[in-house]
Amino acid sequence: MSALAAEPHLALERIDAFRWRIPRSAQAGMRVDGLVFADDGLIEPLRDDPCLSQVANVATLPGIVGHSLGMPDLHWGYGFPIGGVAAFTLDEGVVSPGGIGFDINCGVRLLRSDLAIADVKPVADRLADALFRAVPSGVGAHTGRRLNRAELDDVLQKGAAWAVAAGHGTADDLAVTEEGGRLDTADPGQLSERARLRGSNQLGTLGSGNHFLEVQVVDQLLDPSAAAVLGLRPGQITVMIHCGSRGLGHQVCTDHVAVMDRAVLRYGISIPDRQLACVPLGSPEARAYLGAMGAAANFAWANRQLIADAVRRTFASVFGLDHSLPLVYDVSHNMAKFERHRVGEREVDLCVHRKGATRAFPAGHPGIPDAYREVGQPVLIPGDMGRASIVGVGLPGAMAETFGSTCHGAGRTMSRHAALRQLRGVNLIDELRREGIIVRVSRRGLLAEEASVAYKDVESVVGVAAGAGHVRPVARLRPLVVVKG
Amino acid sequence: MDGTPGQVEGVQRWHAAVAHTADVGVRATAPDPRGLLEEAATALAELSADVSHAKHVRAQEIEVRADDLAALTFAWLNELVGLADALGEALVEARVERLDSSPDGWLARGKATFAAYDAQVQPRLQVKAATFHRLKVARLAGGWNLEAYFDV
Repeated sequence: MSALAAEPHLALERIDAFRWRIPRSAQAGMRVDGLVFADDGLIEPLRDDPCLSQVANVATLPGIVGHSLGMPDLHWGYGFPIGGVAAFTLDEGVVSPGGIGFDINCGVRLLRSDLAIADVKPVADRLADALFRAVPSGVGAHTGRRLNRAELDDVLQKGAAWAVAAGHGTADDLAVTEEGGRLDTADPGQLSERARLRGSNQLGTLGSGNHFLEVQVVDQLLDPSAAAVLGLRPGQITVMIHCGSRGLGHQVCTDHVAVMDRAVLRYGISIPDRQLACVPLGSPEARAYLGAMGAAANFAWANRQLIADAVRRTFASVFGLDHSLPLVYDVSHNMAKFERHRVGEREVDLCVHRKGATRAFPAGHPGIPDAYREVGQPVLIPGDMGRASIVGVGLPGAMAETFGSTCHGAGRTMSRHAALRQLRGVNLIDELRREGIIVRVSRRGLLAEEASVAYKDVESVVGVAAGAGHVRPVARLRPLVVVKG
Repeated sequence: MDGTPGQVEGVQRWHAAVAHTADVGVRATAPDPRGLLEEAATALAELSADVSHAKHVRAQEIEVRADDLAALTFAWLNELVGLADALGEALVEARVERLDSSPDGWLARGKATFAAYDAQVQPRLQVKAATFHRLKVARLAGGWNLEAYFDV
């Protein structure tokens, strides 16, 4: 295994304790500055990391406004960095599937219960087994039944509402899902047969890699009044689900990157990395991609809705009661959205790309569900399976500086191979059990790849987002049961 | 270019994984582009699953076209990723039976074999897609070389 590639240092100017500028002069073709949110501890390992070049590369794309942004969980991706945000004008800007990612509408949803830790501890193993059986996970996971073409079209058009109409949830779930769990720009006609085939038996599956299902406990309230609005209290059991659009979304991205790779020269666009393939927002290729992306996004929302339903049924069977597990919120962190933002003195319509970045709208924004309008959009930031996850709410600073965005997780610090090497001989299942965390996993090697050592500390990452004024931390959640693919 | 580019004499095939913070990459070398595509497929198969004991395999015909050799590699690897996911099986290997280039572009035709997951075929990484990120396919003095990164 070859080591991680070291990059030449890009000029990086400190602005303040939480902000670093990559000036336009740092790399040829940059149209705007790069702006990275990090403190001293987070920035040091990034200085020779390819992710800073990726921030600079994104700054070369036509029609970009404001800054090419790196969130505090920034790390090396492909094309765009992970933790990257960029906004483009509708008349001169572009859409780039690599700026959304292969796992379209990968996201996180959080359910809350009326259970306490004392209810879960005695049955934690049984609960873990039941969840592991109820939610197919791992490489090649499928449901055992393929949706027919009409059923899949329905899912692709209606998103989470399809699942609710089929009895897998309630209207209350849709009210607290980003976009109501449906993009009405979806055009299933833009999906290839391969994309349909990959997705048709994967609806309701978790997948593998960093996707997970966790039973957690609220172990610290960081903002009690906002927590009360979100229905969170100390000692309460919650369930967090992290997954996306599965093979269907991966294929949509693959198909449209190939289309745009051929089209990019025709539109006279010069890109420093072919994975940044993009087309003007008004072009037929852009309309086709955005229609397909919307359909894949709807598939992802339906997927998380079905998994949430399976979790609810499992809780009902294990605890013998009708624990309804209301949805706190469902956020997307791989998506392009058409949003109105202030740029300079003007309000303008933009296409905001968030790749590994979560929307974080502040209190009062019309895009926030009524229930949360007074506190801000819930922001769900998973950490790693050995430490914690954070629930926050968006702040006005995010709107002013990041097009209403913030970090989507802790962010990796090392490759999977390096994590495996560092943890060779360590029985993580036993170690986590000693810390009170029960794990069920399809493949043991995955645990080392996803271990805490491979990730930044989510509290440090959120600390930067909070220090920069983008997010107010509300609650810390500690894992009790972890299900991974 | 007309016809398949010539071999670089005396070059052995090999491949290796390349570290990436979030994802994973591979490097491969072969005496010709045909061998390079096959070696890249083997590297992909090893990343995705332990297929060393796979017994019962099924073959699928593959054909991909692209404007240049790098795009053909992107298409070839993604065809293998997509087929494996659609079948719900592990890629075992892929062979190129025909590789052509013309002013209209490149074409690769071949056969890939897949095996169902079972006690003998254990999954490793869920590869979502091959990417264009830092994708390099080039003829150097030491043979035909490839570097490719996968989203996992």
